[in-house]
Amino acid sequence: MATRDQVLSLLGDGHDYETAAARLGIAPGEAYLIATGRPADGSDSRYFADPGDLPASPQRLVGPVPVNPQRHPTVEAWVRDRARRELSR
Amino acid sequence: MKTPRDLLEIWPVARQLGGADRLGRGAAVKSKGSRERVARTRTADRVVKSVCPYCAVGCGQNVFVSDERVVQIEGDPDAPHSRGRLCPKGSATLQLTTGSSREEHVLYRRPYATEWERLDLDTAMQMIADRVVETRAEGFEWESEEARVRRCMSIAALGGATLDNEENYLIKKLLTGLGVIQVENQARVCHSSTVVGLGTSFGRGASSTLPGDLQNADLIVLQGSNMAEAHPVAFQWVVEAKRRGATIVHIDPHYSRTSALADLFVPIRAGSDIAFLGGVINHVIQNDLDFREYVVNYTNAPTIIGEAFRDVDAEGLFSGFDPGNGEYNPDSWQYEGAYVEAASGQRDQAGHLEGIPPKSGSAEEEVDRGSASLDLTLQHPRCVWQILKRHFASYTPEVVERVTGCDQRTFAEVCRLFVENSGRERTAAFVHGVGWTQHTIGSQYIRCASILQLLLGNMGRPGGGVMAMRGHASIQGSSDIPTLFDTLPGYIPTPHAHAHQDLDSFVLSNAPDKGFWADMRHYVVSLLKAWWGATATAENDYCFDYLPRLTGSHGTYDTVMAQIGGEVKGYFLFGQNPAVGSANNRMQRLGMSKLDWLVVRDFSLIESATWWKDGPEIESGEMRTEDIATEVFFLPAAAHTEKDGTFTNTQRMVQWHHKAVEPRGDQRSDLWFAYHLGRMIRERLADSDDPRDRPLLDLTWDYPCEGPYADPMAAAVLAEINGYDADGTLLSAYTALKDDGSTACGCWIYCGAYADGVNYTARRTPAGEQNWTCPEWTWAWPANRRILYNRASADPEGRPWSERKKLVWWDEAEQKWTGLDTPDFEATKPPSYRPPEGAKGPAAIAGTDPFIMQADGRGWLFAPAGVADGPLPTHYEPQDSPVRNPMYGRQRNPARQLYIHENNRFHPDPGGPGDEVFPFAVTTYRLTEHFTAGGMSRWTPYLAELQPEFFCEVSPELAGERGLTHGDWATLVSARGAIEARVMVTDRMTPLRHGEQVVHTIGMPYHWGPNGYARGDSMNELSSMALDPSSHIQEVKALTVDIRPGRRPRGPARVALVQEYRRRAGITAETGTERRGAAETGVPS
Repeated sequence: MATRDQVLSLLGDGHDYETAAARLGIAPGEAYLIATGRPADGSDSRYFADPGDLPASPQRLVGPVPVNPQRHPTVEAWVRDRARRELSR
Repeated sequence: MKTPRDLLEIWPVARQLGGADRLGRGAAVKSKGSRERVARTRTADRVVKSVCPYCAVGCGQNVFVSDERVVQIEGDPDAPHSRGRLCPKGSATLQLTTGSSREEHVLYRRPYATEWERLDLDTAMQMIADRVVETRAEGFEWESEEARVRRCMSIAALGGATLDNEENYLIKKLLTGLGVIQVENQARVCHSSTVVGLGTSFGRGASSTLPGDLQNADLIVLQGSNMAEAHPVAFQWVVEAKRRGATIVHIDPHYSRTSALADLFVPIRAGSDIAFLGGVINHVIQNDLDFREYVVNYTNAPTIIGEAFRDVDAEGLFSGFDPGNGEYNPDSWQYEGAYVEAASGQRDQAGHLEGIPPKSGSAEEEVDRGSASLDLTLQHPRCVWQILKRHFASYTPEVVERVTGCDQRTFAEVCRLFVENSGRERTAAFVHGVGWTQHTIGSQYIRCASILQLLLGNMGRPGGGVMAMRGHASIQGSSDIPTLFDTLPGYIPTPHAHAHQDLDSFVLSNAPDKGFWADMRHYVVSLLKAWWGATATAENDYCFDYLPRLTGSHGTYDTVMAQIGGEVKGYFLFGQNPAVGSANNRMQRLGMSKLDWLVVRDFSLIESATWWKDGPEIESGEMRTEDIATEVFFLPAAAHTEKDGTFTNTQRMVQWHHKAVEPRGDQRSDLWFAYHLGRMIRERLADSDDPRDRPLLDLTWDYPCEGPYADPMAAAVLAEINGYDADGTLLSAYTALKDDGSTACGCWIYCGAYADGVNYTARRTPAGEQNWTCPEWTWAWPANRRILYNRASADPEGRPWSERKKLVWWDEAEQKWTGLDTPDFEATKPPSYRPPEGAKGPAAIAGTDPFIMQADGRGWLFAPAGVADGPLPTHYEPQDSPVRNPMYGRQRNPARQLYIHENNRFHPDPGGPGDEVFPFAVTTYRLTEHFTAGGMSRWTPYLAELQPEFFCEVSPELAGERGLTHGDWATLVSARGAIEARVMVTDRMTPLRHGEQVVHTIGMPYHWGPNGYARGDSMNELSSMALDPSSHIQEVKALTVDIRPGRRPRGPARVALVQEYRRRAGITAETGTERRGAAETGVPS
């Protein structure tokens, strides 16, 4: 089993969690858990600035990248057409 | 070939002793089987961001999908308000959405049939479209009481708080096009009084703050809320506050887990909260303990009221009461030298005051509404401060004790805590739920808390405010984009029927001339353009005439009476179960039995769908299934994981949830239903030249569709709600809206949610990457402001009242407001700004006026308009109470709204003949494991197993008095019905002393009904239809009953038992009404 020092050392060398985990033969989320003591899925919701913490959410380390689109070109085109037809200038 | 060493390695002890993990805490004890297991969240094809569909905390969810099936649902740790947590209900969401108890097929009950039959979805939709066209034609009316109404009174709808905003929007739009005005949802029966109370006091009828802000409070008073059980995930912020040193007080008739976490639990009698809060107000005023600088500058304390106003007399009546109709004329409550409109509640009140043009005819002239006179010394005998002081002077500690049952020492402790935790350096917050709202004077409960928070300077500040805990995923949204009869989107009032009223006179009689509501015309015209597009022109008043008109109250209980009376013939239920959740279940079923047709859209066969075959009246023999003509359509609904859309949670946060998978079988979204039903109806009437059909046919109904079922795109609907201009630019702020037809906007307060084509409601910046207000987690109305009225967090000069409590402030160098939250104020208006003479609209709001929606920019201690039962809260007893009102001659709210019907009888006055028959008080509440009327929990095995049985809580003293045994059965009887429940004998219920009288209170959850896995009688068989007049909410938090050991009788004997109780109590149509010879309304069964 990889140790906390091993993970932090690799992170300190500039590797990201994915690379560090691959070097140690473990999953990225596991590397995060070893380094920080907290599960990467965020199920422990305390916020601390500990060594190994990521500035962004660590959820991506333990599952697929979330689906969360914020733009929809079809809608924008529909609104433009609607506005042209319905509104006075 | 395994070597001996390999074989030895299989043995964990050998691995432990031979490897680095000597203590056996890690790899050594992990078996091969464990190592090979992989979490299904890790192997999922995708994770979709979503929102919990249960209560209004709106916890973030991650929905994991594999092979187009939802395989897991977990809390989203990035969500700042829920921090990855889910309560038992939220944790059961996977079972709710994927379990076998959801119906997948359309079911149809023919008139007089005894069983369901299957029907294909398209046929059902075509039949429903036919029924709507036919019934609408029969029930359409152009005039009522000689006023133009252009409406359909034969169709009604109920439900929407569990739906998406986009769904409510299309339902409201379609039904308005059809002329249907009897459109209601759970918001009516849950928090409509909050809207009136907060709206009239501060300008917006929504929670002023967010649960996350409670962590900043020094004192949290939870009253009328069992937050730990009803909103457990949000309660983490109360726990956080306590950890930081805050004091927690819980004031409630019922000891709960909220009480257990509190520093001080204060039991009071159900229905006595105004007396309690009035006592605190009196303590603050009499001892000059208010935050005077805040009060003088930010409230209407200095405003002088007209000479005609008279405070309550010994009877408990304000000036303006008409005993003939039981209503107030509020003219005498107005400011001296000015008249103001309320921002909420009873709008249009001032429309008939002298100086306002008549409601008929166009308003072509500017009308001067005058300016209020102020006395900043607060000494004028008619200034609000002095009126307030006199009004609450009788709410002494002795009276508080007598009315509430709270001893004076405890009451003094609460007063001390309020005062010591308010001021420049400290703040106190209120949390309330429906324990405050569901009363015949519910709006005044909220007003009372609002007054206290204004006096103590706690509004608009961190750790302050009034946190209204709402109960459904989008009940705030279904108030904002209302499936409610009396409002249009964005709290624009529905027009009343006044002869020939046009748009200008409507605006004139509903909008103030100062503050942001003065721009109501911009909001209305933009709404009309969104709905009627190119047809809406300046020449036709932007189709203002297309809006159906009100002629009084058309709330859900009026609808029930109209069903019984035969006027309403068609009824839609959208995820609401009135046969359990509304007051007086029997009246609900009687109403539905008179319908021609009923459409139920839900997950499972709720009681409101099956009453015709298994309701209590079938069992008693009062109704025979074969005699019931109602045609019933059951259409299975899609779950939140099966559709795109937004929920608006209790903190006004509009959160997008993405579709994860397609629904099964005939399950469809309500967006699909509303859109395609509208399409089918429009196709049927396409060739019509009847003018009544123009509002329907001219609707903009051109939404792009997608997917295998041709779902209208929810994002397109949200874009329409957001608003756009003639260039097709999606607008970023409601200040960009125009009244010249160049902008369209479906709900002005949501303008900015989809600014510039970006769906901000889907924005999910993790909590750890932003400040505690979390402005980048989705979007909150209005204008992404998280704490309302936050201008009040700074002093009149724009400086924070204290460093500890800073939120927004004036940056002199930058010449703009800045801070931790989006300022709820014009960004560049300096504190020194004073309106020029004659200024109107936002320009009339001074740089020191934090309440920008109010006509005078101030918080209203005294409500000169908007509240139907008085400008100040006054203690009256509940409709059914075991206690005589010790404060006033009037026992009950004199303006309350009652329905006189054989099946809606009331109890005798305390102290009068028959009062001994129903001697015990009842209060009701929610459990963590169940949800409202049970439709989303009693069919869910995990939840049903956690709370399997209906129960009532009684004190050991009451158990002894009535011979009740813990775990055994009890029968509870009111003048409306009889039910049975398991007995829980517990000291969680406190007997309270009122003078010589001891009042026992029985506690009951209200989730049960006879269907589903967890079955039981419904508490609302006992309750009555008696309403708060301002909000039309029913009183179910305080009533009276009798209780006795044993199970209730079955069949006809159950009805006979209720009749026997009525006879013993001498109950007649007049009982409890204070009206001699009260006329029956509706058709007695």
